[in-house]
Amino acid sequence: MKAKKLSLLSSILIALAAVLVVLSLYFPWWQMIFFAPQYPEGLNIIVYPNKLEGEIDIVNGLNHYIGMENFSEENFPELAYLSYLVIGLAVITLLTAILRKKSVLYGLIGLFIIGGSLGAWDLSRALRKFGTNLSPTAPIKIDPFVPPLLGHNTVANFVTESILGYGSYFLIAAFILLLIPLWKDRTR
Amino acid sequence: MKKWIPIASGLLAGFVAATISFADFSTSTNNQAASGSTKSDAEKVYVPFGEKDDYYLFASGGHSGQMFIYGVPSMRHIRTVPVFSQDSATGYGFDEHSKKMMGGYTWGDLHHPAFSETKGDYDGKYMFATDVGNSRAAAMDLETFTVKDIINVPNTSGPHCAAFVTENTEYMFLPTRFAVPIGSDYKPLDEYSQQYRGVMSAVTFDQNQEKLNIAYQVALPPWSYDLSDAGKKSSADWAVMTTYNTEEATTNLEINASQADRDFIVLFNWKELEKMVAEGQYDEVTGQKMIFPEKHKGGIYLVPVAKSPHGVDVTPDGKHFIASGKLAPSMTVFSFDKAFEAVKNQDFSGERNGIPILKYESVMEREVNPENALGPLHTQFDDKGMAYTTMFISSEIVKWDPKTGETLDRIPVQYSPGHSVAAEGDTVSPDGKWLIALNKIAKDSYLSVGPSHPESMQLIDINGKMKVIQSSPVNPEPHYAQIIKADKIKTIEVYPKDENNKLATYKQEDAKIVRNGNEVHVYGIAMRSKFIFDAKAKRPDVIEVNQGDKVFIHLTNTDFDEDITHGFAINSYNLNMEVQPGQTNTLEFTADKAGTFPLYCTNFCSALHQEMTGYFLVKPKN
Repeated sequence: MKAKKLSLLSSILIALAAVLVVLSLYFPWWQMIFFAPQYPEGLNIIVYPNKLEGEIDIVNGLNHYIGMENFSEENFPELAYLSYLVIGLAVITLLTAILRKKSVLYGLIGLFIIGGSLGAWDLSRALRKFGTNLSPTAPIKIDPFVPPLLGHNTVANFVTESILGYGSYFLIAAFILLLIPLWKDRTR
Repeated sequence: MKKWIPIASGLLAGFVAATISFADFSTSTNNQAASGSTKSDAEKVYVPFGEKDDYYLFASGGHSGQMFIYGVPSMRHIRTVPVFSQDSATGYGFDEHSKKMMGGYTWGDLHHPAFSETKGDYDGKYMFATDVGNSRAAAMDLETFTVKDIINVPNTSGPHCAAFVTENTEYMFLPTRFAVPIGSDYKPLDEYSQQYRGVMSAVTFDQNQEKLNIAYQVALPPWSYDLSDAGKKSSADWAVMTTYNTEEATTNLEINASQADRDFIVLFNWKELEKMVAEGQYDEVTGQKMIFPEKHKGGIYLVPVAKSPHGVDVTPDGKHFIASGKLAPSMTVFSFDKAFEAVKNQDFSGERNGIPILKYESVMEREVNPENALGPLHTQFDDKGMAYTTMFISSEIVKWDPKTGETLDRIPVQYSPGHSVAAEGDTVSPDGKWLIALNKIAKDSYLSVGPSHPESMQLIDINGKMKVIQSSPVNPEPHYAQIIKADKIKTIEVYPKDENNKLATYKQEDAKIVRNGNEVHVYGIAMRSKFIFDAKAKRPDVIEVNQGDKVFIHLTNTDFDEDITHGFAINSYNLNMEVQPGQTNTLEFTADKAGTFPLYCTNFCSALHQEMTGYFLVKPKN
């Protein structure tokens, strides 16, 4: 039995998704901004798939007051291989576009869902780890806390805001591009 | 009841209510038409929170040896920068670099700050200053507002009329106020005219190395050199300076240096002097290339001027220079072009000490003598080329037109203004907004602080009719100042990491104490809110040495964060320094006192600043 191939337009959309996935590597995926009276301009932790940017040292310097472990690239081994996984995902997406098989597309969407969930789980795990694993000898004692993946949080004199970066939006856009062929090439 | 009553009373009530609500009962005294602005005086100087001043004012600190930085027009004191005097607030004069620069002196008399220039305009890179007290010059970096280099100027005593810089900061000239024998050797005062000299130094500044250097010196006659200015545009290769005591008196100068009817302006061509030095027309004296005008002819001329002149200022177009006779109540406008013509035609009236004298009449353009204006000292300029001269004795500022000599405006100030400074008022393009009178006396202007009153700076709005709109008490002594547009100055927030600096320690785990014989080098870190001197030690914040050890503490502030400055002091050791964000600084001393000495961070750094301490332990000998 020969399965019907996905339309050419769908194939192009899927290829476009692959391009977006690769593009996302060059943009931050997630960002946390810390505001305090003496930092009205905000301090940033900017997470790329392969590196951390922003005023990490200053944030670490301040976090020592509440006994939080240092953020550093060594603390996030994911950063070493995440970009390879993303490139792999892009390659599979491109293959899907070439194969134009619906079953493969289902698999790919599944992969996206699993990957995305794993990513979100990993980040929230890290946030929980940093926020709840406070040194018992810290000069300032505060209750353990877990900053949200998205949204506001208040810790001592700091208000933190977690937001998605452009990279994440590209991934979401890529995911939507993958869903369109399902609708477009639905069996009538 | 008649029908009209409620109607009329209703109308009346409405009228009354409207009047109360909307009518303006204040008497109209707001008469600012002359200043061309509808703002009140208070509004003109008020800089609301969140906004910043338009200008920086750099005021010389006189014998405090420091530079005071103000904002204009608010006249708020922003910062004191130590230049020639120790300052425990910043550890200046204690840390290795500043201690070395100060060369054992503990004070200076800071006169005449001057900005580096490009094409006759301030470029906002460096500020120079001279020390009349101990004959030095300093260069301050305007990225950090710290002094980078200080140079001793041999053969001179008190560079009063310096610093003034040439159009592109090629040179700054430092003429001496007190004539001394070459090398400041002992010579009897009876041999004053033969043995004493008023040496002028041509100082260069290497902006890459941030080093001052003496290019050459000129052995001028033994007179007192008072003020000076470099030419601009068509006169850019030239400079002028006033001199008094051409009588060559050696005692009771008040009387004896005030006898001659005319003193001189020294007019010189620094390009020509530069060429003479390049051609070897100089003598090597005390390690300096010295031009003796009687031997090496050329480039230097004298212009007669009313007796005991003080200020000499070049107009923004570079065409004229204006001198004021301190004891002769008039300003004289001289023409550069006429002087150049006279030099070309060798139109000399004679010679003094081997230097040709130009005829007064052939250089002078006009004498200006505003009625009852006494003691003209310094002149500044506005954007229209109008001159503003301080009158020391009659305590006023006189505005006049150098082209016609017409007096345009006068305003009293309180009291005895020496210099004044206009916004960018000695550049090729003055701003013409503000003038500040730097007053020597301010009796009864402020709350009393005992017999010695504060001195004052008065802000004058020169848009239109002059008006004093703000007065600010100031530490001694507002001698001279410079005003620069705020947007020309680009400061840095933190010192960038310098991986080549062997004394710097950026990683906590690299903090270490290295002993080399009786030398102990501490490569330490200051960070919120602790010191780390030896990362591997049981107590990383303790330094232990033996009595008599030579101790070097190289401390790096690893808080690369705006405004997080740390200090470092050792109790009872009379030591103190500052490390700004990202900076590495060194203290060097001998641990001659045995005992236990707490050390601590002096510069408030954070909530746990009080805990930022450690110990300096000195083990006694035997």
